[in-house]
Amino acid sequence: MLSSAQAEIRQTSVWWLPRNVTMFGHEIDFIFYVILILTGVTAVAVFSVMVYFIVKYRAKPGVSAVHSHGNNTLEVIWTGIPVFIFLALAIYGNEQWTQMRLKTPPADALPVAVIGEQFGWNVRYPGADGKLAKMTASSVTKENPFGVDPADPAGLDDFTTYGELVFPVDRAIRLYLGSKDVIHAFYVPEFRLYQDMVPGRIYDFVWLKAEQTGQFQLACNQLCGQGHYKMFGKLSVVPQGEYETWAKGKAPQPTAAKETSTVPVVMAGR
Amino acid sequence: MSTATLHSATHVHGHEEPSGWKKYLWSLDHKIIGLQYLFTSLAFLFIGGGMALLLRWQLAYPSTQVMPSGDVGNPISLPFINPQFYNALFTMHATVMVFLVVMPLLIGAFGNYLIPLKIGAGDMAFPLVNELSYWVYLLSGFVMLAGFFVAGGAAAGGWTSYAPLSSVAAYNGTKLGQTLWATGIFINGLASIMGAFNYITTIVNMRAPGMGFFRLPLTVWALFITAFLLLLAVPVLSAAGAMLILDLNFGTSFFNPAKGGQPLLWQHLFWFFGHPEVYILILPAMGMASDVLSIFSRKPVFGYKAMVFAMFAIGFLGFIVWGHHMFVSGMNLVLSAAFGVSTMVIAVPSAIKTFNWLGTIWGGSIRFTSAMLNALAFVAMFVIGGFSGIFMASTPVNIFVHHTYFIVAHFHYVLFGGSIFAIFASIYTWYPKMFGRMLDETLGKIHFVLTFVFFNLCFFPMHNVGLGGMMRRIADPTAYEHLRALQPINQFITLAAIGLGFSQFIFLWNFFRSLKHGAPAGNNPWEGTTLEWTVASPPGHGNFAVTPTVYRGAYDYSVPGHPRDFIMQNEPPTSESIHGAAPVRRSVPTG
Repeated sequence: MLSSAQAEIRQTSVWWLPRNVTMFGHEIDFIFYVILILTGVTAVAVFSVMVYFIVKYRAKPGVSAVHSHGNNTLEVIWTGIPVFIFLALAIYGNEQWTQMRLKTPPADALPVAVIGEQFGWNVRYPGADGKLAKMTASSVTKENPFGVDPADPAGLDDFTTYGELVFPVDRAIRLYLGSKDVIHAFYVPEFRLYQDMVPGRIYDFVWLKAEQTGQFQLACNQLCGQGHYKMFGKLSVVPQGEYETWAKGKAPQPTAAKETSTVPVVMAGR
Repeated sequence: MSTATLHSATHVHGHEEPSGWKKYLWSLDHKIIGLQYLFTSLAFLFIGGGMALLLRWQLAYPSTQVMPSGDVGNPISLPFINPQFYNALFTMHATVMVFLVVMPLLIGAFGNYLIPLKIGAGDMAFPLVNELSYWVYLLSGFVMLAGFFVAGGAAAGGWTSYAPLSSVAAYNGTKLGQTLWATGIFINGLASIMGAFNYITTIVNMRAPGMGFFRLPLTVWALFITAFLLLLAVPVLSAAGAMLILDLNFGTSFFNPAKGGQPLLWQHLFWFFGHPEVYILILPAMGMASDVLSIFSRKPVFGYKAMVFAMFAIGFLGFIVWGHHMFVSGMNLVLSAAFGVSTMVIAVPSAIKTFNWLGTIWGGSIRFTSAMLNALAFVAMFVIGGFSGIFMASTPVNIFVHHTYFIVAHFHYVLFGGSIFAIFASIYTWYPKMFGRMLDETLGKIHFVLTFVFFNLCFFPMHNVGLGGMMRRIADPTAYEHLRALQPINQFITLAAIGLGFSQFIFLWNFFRSLKHGAPAGNNPWEGTTLEWTVASPPGHGNFAVTPTVYRGAYDYSVPGHPRDFIMQNEPPTSESIHGAAPVRRSVPTG
């Protein structure tokens, strides 16, 4: 059922943001709307003044222009106010950034590893122990996409998928993001989430909590080569029970053998 | 101009003018070199624009699309645009527009043409280096475009060429094309560096008597500051390009982590160049637009010194904001926070400039020439482009909008809405000086209205598809279930882009027709105050028969009590005696 479901196709409000399903998405949307209102009001004001000046001060016979080289009071005002607004935005934004990126994820977060490759997604889930095998970026190879030690006991019950992610709703998910070859990016607009996946590194600071269920599309959003335009995966957010049923149906794959890529890797000019 | 004065002018800067067609090959005259840059970069503008239309066609009607019938390929698609070629097209579209169009138009064409004329010099300090920079620039263009004709095709890693996609042949499949790209960037950098030190030397050493720094027109100030940015930023890109060539061809691995390299090193090097580059592409446009607004409002630039200091601030801050391109790259997360603050701060000088432009037209006597309309559009579009930048400057919002069409909308509002409208304003303003004839005003206004309307119809909806979740650099949006509902908007954008592209032929027609059929311009068709308007159109070789003496700032418009509403910079004060006194300015800016 999960594998055949289609990602959401929006029928309404195609000119605007898709719905937000994650916890941090609320903050991101809030700051987005604050900036939208600030810039929107200022833009309307600036354009109104501009149009007023354009109409009022059009060249008229016998009327000469005012001779003015400027006004220092005005300069101070229109320097000071933007400084105040922009610093406030930066400080508030940094506070939220700290919450999202610099705070340690909750201890009970479900760890999920996603390692990109040209042009697909290696996904690794923990088994019953709730722990992933320890991954080392420098050990990532073609055969060992997650860079794990096959003897690591924590990894013996891990299972993997290719291009398929299932997240339980209302539970923190801690992502381990990396790449086998070039830079890819983990991007889901409904999650308000973009993160580059850089080869040679495994990022462990991204975590999220989905608050609504649904079918979504995971898209690579960092140009990664010829097949980039269709490097996508399936992402489902389901109730906890449904997640457990799905996970139980997966056979442990400690050595992380991967399925065949669904996207033919054909390179021009080789 | 008499033979005697020509001779004295030649004597001043020490070279003779070749005759006939030869002058377009070997002239060392800054004006001819400026025109060479102008014609070449306009040709590249149409090449880069053609690529943009192919890109837009593919996005609206993808050749890769699976139709309901099961057939692959949209019935009205262009089948030769396969995904690899699409990637090459957007890579080269950006490369051409940045390195072969906007930089050379602003800096090569107008920088060369206007700096000596506006500061009262006979030529640039190093005329031979100047001519060499043009030929090196042309060569860089050929090297970059040659990528389309080699095995594997042109570079297809984006104009940012992120490693290791760009640096490992097995990943990109375009070893030759990518090498040519990096070589072209390196050669292009040489042209920029030659131009930059030439401009700095010229402006520092060759200003006419009385032309103090705070009497310089803002165009010259902007190009002066831009030249410093070029000198400091371009060598970093050249070095990165050289490292990329080594990685691709000679077995090094600066950027390949599989062999101990660092992909983020490329990003730091690229953006250490790339962010100052953003200001390199807009500062000259700001300077020229300021002058155009002043001329056609018949008013001094409002807050002249604030404008100069704002450009200094932009130039300095421009070097400490590059990390905002890397908020989501996974670089140090605290560093992201610091770059977030510096990025917000750099918005302040841009705001100062915008308010001063409004101040300039306030109380004016505005003449709505084609030039003025384009300059006003520059201000309005720059406001929109600046505001959309604030969204990306906010680190949390950037997590959502990074690499979507929102940013594509943003940088086109700044680069086309800003730089290109300012370039049009400048061409309409200085064409009469360059060719001695006026452009047709009616055609100019039709061109402006169509460009303005189609530009906004084309680029504004990109904000919306970006917020809707559409990624940049994907060859087929219909491949994504979550984007299919947005496809009608993509088709709308494509139609607007076609309208925008074809409107430019009106400009082209006007440009070439007016070379012969335009009304004679005279020395000073716009009643400007700066030194280029004191000489013939086009100015003779050597520019000034006698080196002018400057008595006042660049913006003495509508001075009360004066019979005309403009006073030339070299016009001696009338009320005071100048006998034995150093040149003094009559009208001191209070700003």
